[in-house]
Amino acid sequence: MSAPGADGCGAPAGGIEVTGGAGSQAVVQGHVTSAGTPVPSGYARLLNSDGEFVAEVPLGEDGGFTFYAAPGVWTLRVLAPGGIRVERPVSASTGMITELEVAV
Amino acid sequence: MSRSDVLVEADWVQAHLDDPGLVLVEVDENTTAYDKGHIKGAVKIDWKKDLQDPVRRDFIDRAGFERLLSGRGISNDDTVILYGGNNNWFAAYAYWYFKLYGHDKVKLLDGGRKKWELDSRDMVTDVPARPATSYHAREQDRSIRAFRDDVVAAIGVLNLVDVRSPDEFAGRLLAPAHLPQEQAQRGGHVPTAKNVPWSKAAEEDGTFKSDDDLRALYGDEAGLDFGKDTIAYCRIGERSAHTWFVLHELLGQANVKNYDGSWTEYGSLVGVPIELGDGK
Repeated sequence: MSAPGADGCGAPAGGIEVTGGAGSQAVVQGHVTSAGTPVPSGYARLLNSDGEFVAEVPLGEDGGFTFYAAPGVWTLRVLAPGGIRVERPVSASTGMITELEVAV
Repeated sequence: MSRSDVLVEADWVQAHLDDPGLVLVEVDENTTAYDKGHIKGAVKIDWKKDLQDPVRRDFIDRAGFERLLSGRGISNDDTVILYGGNNNWFAAYAYWYFKLYGHDKVKLLDGGRKKWELDSRDMVTDVPARPATSYHAREQDRSIRAFRDDVVAAIGVLNLVDVRSPDEFAGRLLAPAHLPQEQAQRGGHVPTAKNVPWSKAAEEDGTFKSDDDLRALYGDEAGLDFGKDTIAYCRIGERSAHTWFVLHELLGQANVKNYDGSWTEYGSLVGVPIELGDGK
């Protein structure tokens, strides 16, 4: 995986791992599962309170996703093959890692 | 120019995978996804390692582009179909880059890797062996590339389109929300820029919206003056390449430039004006 920073802008599968706690970030992360099994092929989208698209990552091998949001209320939307489309509301706070497990 | 000249659908690609003279290229910021699986016959281009100068912040030069395409087995007569992840951001950037160096026979796969995956279409791990060619590039077409002085001169004069998310535009986030927010540069946007997030031009599956919807989005809703020249920017120039593709290639607007320095350059310049807050 390439290091995040000014020279890159892409979203690696699963998102960029949080290391050493949230620090000053407002992290939203979790996993997508189907009948208890990780969903490795699909996408997690973060929408703002107006329903506008903010960011998207492909799910990791473990169905994982990570976002670095701003404090506030967001919507997580999961897209996966087979027409799967599931939404969950989520709140983010600075310095916190908000965990979200999504069953589809 | 019509949509079919610049864009192909997944069904079409599936039916033409083995056509001679057609080269599929997957473009991404790194090639992890390609290495796990890609469309049959596709070669890979790494946006960072292959397209960016390793020392200076700039593109590889003309000779470097010639070496890259020759090594990938792409000839001047080939039709290149580009696709990638991140809703085709990096593929759109490569499309713009191919045009910059004068390769005219290039198209984007509508929806990119994402739609291909969501459709559950076949992917392979075999890497094709393509014999090397002697590719000849042209000098850069500067009519589609903007530099920082062009952007400063465009304030209040030309259309400036900031294609980042509303929170980045307002200065609340410094990067898209899938990246850590620890950049050193200032937040905000170029004064007089309209905020039309790239994502508004795409459907949820990554395909582009219809021409009518796109025209309404940039014209009626955002208030772009189609009679004026336009500069699009984002954070590092790949999301704005997506919007450059929409305005220049799909809607046929003349004089649209992509500012590849984008916010990581502008937001770090000393003395330039910056505006904060939401779009109007």
